[in-house]
Amino acid sequence: MTKTALTFLQIILFIAVSPFLSGLITKIKNNVRMRKGQSIWQPYFNLLKLFSKQEVVSGTASWIFRAAPFIALASCLAASALIPVFIFVSPLQRMGDLLALIFIFALGRFFMALAALDTGSSFGGMGASREMFISSLAEPGLCLAIFAISLQFGSTSILAFSASHAVSISSVLAAAALFLVTLAETSRIPVDNQETHLELTMVHEAMLLEYSGRSLALIELSSYIKQMILFFLIAQVVFPIGMPGAALAPISLWFLWYLARILIIAVVVALVEVSLAKMRLFRVADFLGFAFVLGIIAVVCAMLGV
Amino acid sequence: MDRAGLISVIKSKLPDFNPISAAQGFPDEFSIKVSPEAFKDTCLVLHKHLGSPVMMLFALDQRKETGNFVINAVFADFRESRWVIVSMDIRQENPCFETLAKSMHSALLFEREIWEMFGIEPKGSPDLRRLNLHDEVWPRGNYPLRKDFQKMAAGNTGEYNFARVEGEGVFEVPVGPVHAGIIGPGHFRFSVAGEPIINLEARLGFTHRGVEKLFENKSYDQAACLSECVCGDAVFSHSLAFARAIEKISCARIPLQADLLRGIFLELERMHNHVHDIGGIAIDVGFSYPHAYASIIKESLLQLNERLCASRYLKKVNLPGGVLTDMDDEKKELLRVSLKKMKHDFNALVKILYTSVSFMDRVDGTGVLRRKTAEDLGVTGLAGRASGIPEDLRKYFPGVYKEAKFKIAVEGSGDVLARLRIRISEFLESCRLIEEFSAMLVKDSRSKVDLELREGSALGYAEGWRGPVLYWVKTGPGGRLQRCKIVDPSFHNWQGLCFSVLGNIIPDFPLCNKSFDLSYSGNDL
Repeated sequence: MTKTALTFLQIILFIAVSPFLSGLITKIKNNVRMRKGQSIWQPYFNLLKLFSKQEVVSGTASWIFRAAPFIALASCLAASALIPVFIFVSPLQRMGDLLALIFIFALGRFFMALAALDTGSSFGGMGASREMFISSLAEPGLCLAIFAISLQFGSTSILAFSASHAVSISSVLAAAALFLVTLAETSRIPVDNQETHLELTMVHEAMLLEYSGRSLALIELSSYIKQMILFFLIAQVVFPIGMPGAALAPISLWFLWYLARILIIAVVVALVEVSLAKMRLFRVADFLGFAFVLGIIAVVCAMLGV
Repeated sequence: MDRAGLISVIKSKLPDFNPISAAQGFPDEFSIKVSPEAFKDTCLVLHKHLGSPVMMLFALDQRKETGNFVINAVFADFRESRWVIVSMDIRQENPCFETLAKSMHSALLFEREIWEMFGIEPKGSPDLRRLNLHDEVWPRGNYPLRKDFQKMAAGNTGEYNFARVEGEGVFEVPVGPVHAGIIGPGHFRFSVAGEPIINLEARLGFTHRGVEKLFENKSYDQAACLSECVCGDAVFSHSLAFARAIEKISCARIPLQADLLRGIFLELERMHNHVHDIGGIAIDVGFSYPHAYASIIKESLLQLNERLCASRYLKKVNLPGGVLTDMDDEKKELLRVSLKKMKHDFNALVKILYTSVSFMDRVDGTGVLRRKTAEDLGVTGLAGRASGIPEDLRKYFPGVYKEAKFKIAVEGSGDVLARLRIRISEFLESCRLIEEFSAMLVKDSRSKVDLELREGSALGYAEGWRGPVLYWVKTGPGGRLQRCKIVDPSFHNWQGLCFSVLGNIIPDFPLCNKSFDLSYSGNDL
């Protein structure tokens, strides 16, 4: 019973904390650019605003357009329930492993791409085709990084993954591959640019151009959660630490350590974003190809035991 | 080449050439009046001989005075530092002329404009679609620049036919006129196969305000104010071109002090726009740090402008007859100190850009406009120089620039990087020029003369930051304006943009667009 309650608590915490990460990244970026910038809480204000706004839906859109935001959010929430934050024995542990995580994300993305095509706007089509192009290149890298980690633990189970372990060459390479993939998956520079107003250069944003109001809020929230999960994966590989017991006191400590590690990743992402220009679209293949190669080397290293 | 020289060149190409009149109206203006039959051939000979696209081609309505429409074509004769204006009369009973566009592409847009504004048909033109008066709003048969035009009622009478590319896997992507950012309205129709662009057609005219009509019947000081509003980011170059036209008509001798001050302000305008675009190119590839850096430099330039002349965008500085703002020692010192600091900051900015691999990878080889294409389209100014056309009015009509030893910036590759490099070297050159000009200023010297109003017509010009801004002005009794034809460099260069993106991928379009940074309001008028 406590475990079920903790699982729900975990999902709620993901919802509550994940917008903060984006706010933090934006704040750091603005400060580096010698600007005061928006409040660190701005993503929360945006969500509140969007939830209270009316929605405009194209007359040609079908049920897919309306359903997609819910599916996207549901898939991210399901993924967040799989991640062990508080609990070392998740009630959902038999529901999925690390590989399931990849497919759960893919489900949300698939419906977002369908919804983007649904309205028939030219930007939706462009955005969907680019997003699929990028994710088809990102997924192999992500898979290999996860294989490398799984090989070290002898299991694809998330619980094995969150056990304490020493940092090896293989895990560093896997973390690097994960980091590159995360930049692509969270639509950040050098792959995509969240801040742009240039509709022709957008990837992820172009898919969302037709969304407004509550649906947009759901989509934004789901991408915040997805970002936090990906950051968690990197953090867990680079700064490994074992799960605490079921007692509540170490759990809260562990949660703080968990947050701190994610914040470090956020700072690195922010610094990467201000110091690079966005790549030409077709260069993304090279970039993610590099992540793929890192993943392969990580797998080989894991098999060699280094 | 003297005046007879040009005529004899035309005669050698056209044996039966017999101009109605030929005169050196002003030292830098040579007018030839020909019969309608000889107009086309004369223009083509000049086009070939001078190597100049048609810089202006426009009509004026003289039906009340002579019963005719007049058409003028302006060519640049850079070797002789003068403009050659060919004109012809067209009977009002049969308003048409033979198209030039088939042999000289740069005339095409002008002819479309003449057709929609005056109802004078360019016979045989390959393209008679309207430019600014969109069929969706304005019914055909109304010609606003005719003198007897009153007003027209709006009504949907048709739609625009875009050039179509058909074939398997070819899609059309319509973009605009409403964009996701706060930018001017323009519609872009891409034909793409996947991401690469096969064809791009820009449809503009959404900010058409009837500027040329507004100039009519204005006194010259009213019109001077209006000229500052034609294009918001090139206030000074537009007002300067207009003022020079008026000064030529009234044969005024402008004091050296005014010319020097004008040089300073013209370069200040160039500087803040160039640095803005350099930052813009960076942010369009998502490189936000240099953009923030460039914004700071731009803002300090605007604040400098404000402290020098109480206007951030240099309004109310220029006036036909001279300059209203003077520079005392305090301002000169302010200018010197600010420029020194800005040059330092600017060099740091350039270093950030040139040392960033990810940035250089984006701009190098993107959006190439080849020289031949640029020449055929009549691309001018900055974009032309980036494609290797060594034309700059500051070089060929130097005035005070001669003493300041102006050095023209030319690149050959025609890509985004070339346009960026031109901006960078022009910014630094502008800094140097301002220092030279300000050293030449004489204390407490007159910077303004009173004008004597006359009837006449003249061409005014200035090398704005985008390129040559041209004003052809005709005044009537009492010095009131009868016709004012404006050509902003954007007018030709939009076409250049459409050609430069071919073969590039759609996500690179905003970058190419920013590297040209053309004006909507200057084009739509």
